[in-house]
Amino acid sequence: MMIAFILLGALTLVGGVITIAAKNAVHAALGLVGTLISVAGLFATLNASFLAATQVIVYAGAIMVLFLFVIMLLNANAPITGRDPIPFVRELAGLGGVVLAGSFVILAVSYKDPRPLAEATTALGGGSASVVGETLLTRFLLPFEAVSILLLVAIVGAVALVQRPVPQPDDVPDSEAELLAPPVGSAISRGGHQPAFQQQSLQHSNDEGEVRA
Amino acid sequence: MVPTSYYIALSGLLFAMGMIGVLTRRTAIMVFLSVELMLNAANIALVAFARSWGDLTGQTAVFIVMTLAAAEVAIGLAIIVAIFRKRETTNVDDLAAMKG
Repeated sequence: MMIAFILLGALTLVGGVITIAAKNAVHAALGLVGTLISVAGLFATLNASFLAATQVIVYAGAIMVLFLFVIMLLNANAPITGRDPIPFVRELAGLGGVVLAGSFVILAVSYKDPRPLAEATTALGGGSASVVGETLLTRFLLPFEAVSILLLVAIVGAVALVQRPVPQPDDVPDSEAELLAPPVGSAISRGGHQPAFQQQSLQHSNDEGEVRA
Repeated sequence: MVPTSYYIALSGLLFAMGMIGVLTRRTAIMVFLSVELMLNAANIALVAFARSWGDLTGQTAVFIVMTLAAAEVAIGLAIIVAIFRKRETTNVDDLAAMKG
């Protein structure tokens, strides 16, 4: 058990270091995948088998795929150059991190288990899907339902946020309107308008850049 | 059996690491990845406490946190994509203005 903890804990921390230090965003995301899978292993050592499975499926599976999609879509690998707006931000962050970690470790060392560990572990019932599900649908029914509504709102919100503005026929001259208006849901008409929109937004950002400079 | 305090110490280290990432990285996506590290650190502590007390409340809370993280990632990444389309950058230093 102890060996498993040390191995998984080391993997978790190594993955974390890769995540925050990697230059390439895809490497950082893969480091995080390593951390997430190790955390799933840690859950298993803590008698939480259902959560270990959920961690792999939801976190390491679904969420990280989403991350990798967006990293590749935005080409976030290009390095960002420029000065830090706050001098010594890295040193300050490192110092703050060390202080925070140190205080957590001191707190952890002084922690006493409220009841014998072996007895408490049996009370968990192995953290199987049935016992967690029972708690979720009896004591925590209201949060459970609230979270399901939240997920629905998140789906609608995500779709609404990334939707491109659809050009209205009234806004453009008649000659172009004929091109834009035709049959419902035609991908071609939207695609045809797209470059103009992007060009406009690019122009906008260029203007801002000049003002800033 | 591994003592609970070891897990809490590990959780603290991982949380501090995530905090350093949030403060030092410049790309919005990298900041997001670091936030995920911090969420996972909190999850480890919750599951460790659940075992320590012999109570499933901690595990249920972790389940709900995972769902929240999924929702947060969906919305957050949608916002990043929308910003990228408008500004052609996701550098958080360039996104300091509240105006469009």
